[in-house]
Amino acid sequence: MAAAVAATRYDSRMKRSASFLGLAYMALPIVLPALAGVVAPSSLAQAHAEDRVDSTTTWYQEKRKGNLGGLTVVHPQFDIGVDAGDNTTLDIGYSADAVSGATAAVYSTDAVSSATTFKDLRHAATTGITFYGSRSTLSISGNIGSERDYNSIGVGASAKVDLPGKNTALALSYNHGFDQVCDFDNGMATALERRPLTGQQACEKQKFLLGKDVAGDSVWRDLSFDTTQATVTQNISPSVVAQFGLYGQVARGFQSNPYRRVRVSGVEAQEHLPDVRGRVALMARVNKYLPSIKSAMHAMARGYTDTWGVNSVTLGLGYSQYFGNSLLLRTNARIYQQSEATFFKDAFFYETEGSAGEYFTGDRELGAIRNIVGGMKFSYIKFDENGGNVLGVFDEVSFNLKAEVYLLDELPADPIEDNREGIDRQFLSSGQAVDAFTLQLGMLFRY
Amino acid sequence: MAWQSSSKATNIPSGRTKLILACVLATGFLFGACGKQAVRASEKEFLADRIMQFDADGQETSADEHILSNREGSAGGRGTGGGGCGCN
Repeated sequence: MAAAVAATRYDSRMKRSASFLGLAYMALPIVLPALAGVVAPSSLAQAHAEDRVDSTTTWYQEKRKGNLGGLTVVHPQFDIGVDAGDNTTLDIGYSADAVSGATAAVYSTDAVSSATTFKDLRHAATTGITFYGSRSTLSISGNIGSERDYNSIGVGASAKVDLPGKNTALALSYNHGFDQVCDFDNGMATALERRPLTGQQACEKQKFLLGKDVAGDSVWRDLSFDTTQATVTQNISPSVVAQFGLYGQVARGFQSNPYRRVRVSGVEAQEHLPDVRGRVALMARVNKYLPSIKSAMHAMARGYTDTWGVNSVTLGLGYSQYFGNSLLLRTNARIYQQSEATFFKDAFFYETEGSAGEYFTGDRELGAIRNIVGGMKFSYIKFDENGGNVLGVFDEVSFNLKAEVYLLDELPADPIEDNREGIDRQFLSSGQAVDAFTLQLGMLFRY
Repeated sequence: MAWQSSSKATNIPSGRTKLILACVLATGFLFGACGKQAVRASEKEFLADRIMQFDADGQETSADEHILSNREGSAGGRGTGGGGCGCN
């Protein structure tokens, strides 16, 4: 099988630093010394930490057009948290991505015909330490990730403080990612002369996580991420809690997919994206408890904008319902819509008009899209209400099974009446009502 | 009428400006509603329930973020875990 070229594949690499952020709260270093003063009295606080073992495996399956099989991702995660004294927890984690499927080699009016297959495997590890005070937590974390053509290293910190009365919690986080992307050694070639990585190049490494250039073959390009987030969690009433968040990120460096080609005025050149991207998002969400039926309603909204011209809105609703003391059912639905990046064009217009300024891309996620996700999750939770153990060992045991379906729609980015080729074949989406699904199985043991 | 036309032509906000404005207004409105009614410790039974916690399952949240950030052009801004019971 040809070593392959993968739009989807690279996307996951480029964005993974952000995905790691979900594993730990990160904090602005500038506020940490001040917050340390709040944390310091923690030696007098009661024990907060708790040992746990947590494991989840997610299977994502996406259909493809043209009898090309599908995109399959298996994502196992394994985390352990152990007490290190009454007020400190140490965490380590491991996750992987086993990816296989088909991808388009060239973004064009008929991307389906150029599709090839690929396989890839990525390993990632995280570690962190959390200090608990009477009204605060402080976490420091690090992560690494490695695969054949991408390296990532990240460090971060976060802090959270409950204000007096414990009805308002403030959290701040900061993370820096040092990533490297393997690219074909194009020397001083201009954008339209640049050739893509094909999978035949060496992409050599030294010391596992540092790329090593091979002249005339492959070079490693830097990509850094600075990410910060501030949230306020507020009790509105005895049955309503809300959270508001502000998120910002700046990415600097090589952000193109080194494998992807775009057909621009008859030339098939490597995708060319700006080196800097700034992102801002505002988020609000609320949970409302319904005591009479032992359930809760959830709602969220998010607005996003970035310097590439992508603007998006996300709306979500959910509902959780207990059945007895151990069974919990949650249903959720989410709709997302975004506008295209300023330099994105439907493939027909790149071919007939040329690029939009300096840049050109075949990334579906930079086009106009609308995604709808819906699903449900069953949880079986067992703990002794009298404070005893479950199975003689654990404070709590829970098993989770979750299923979701995805409706992924591409929208025209340019006047569709002038596009004689349409947009139906410029990406490898399924073209069916349901484009993808996930199944997720999780287990959590606290002891 | 001429001044009205001119005003419209120059003051129509762009899509991005509208989005930012809407988010800021929404956030401001929601923040404005906060803190008006303190919840006493004895009233936090429901707030402490697991279904009232944001991102109660960290691995699920992480996996969801992983999938969505690979299927959408935006990333981040999905909040942080925990809830408002202040139980810590």
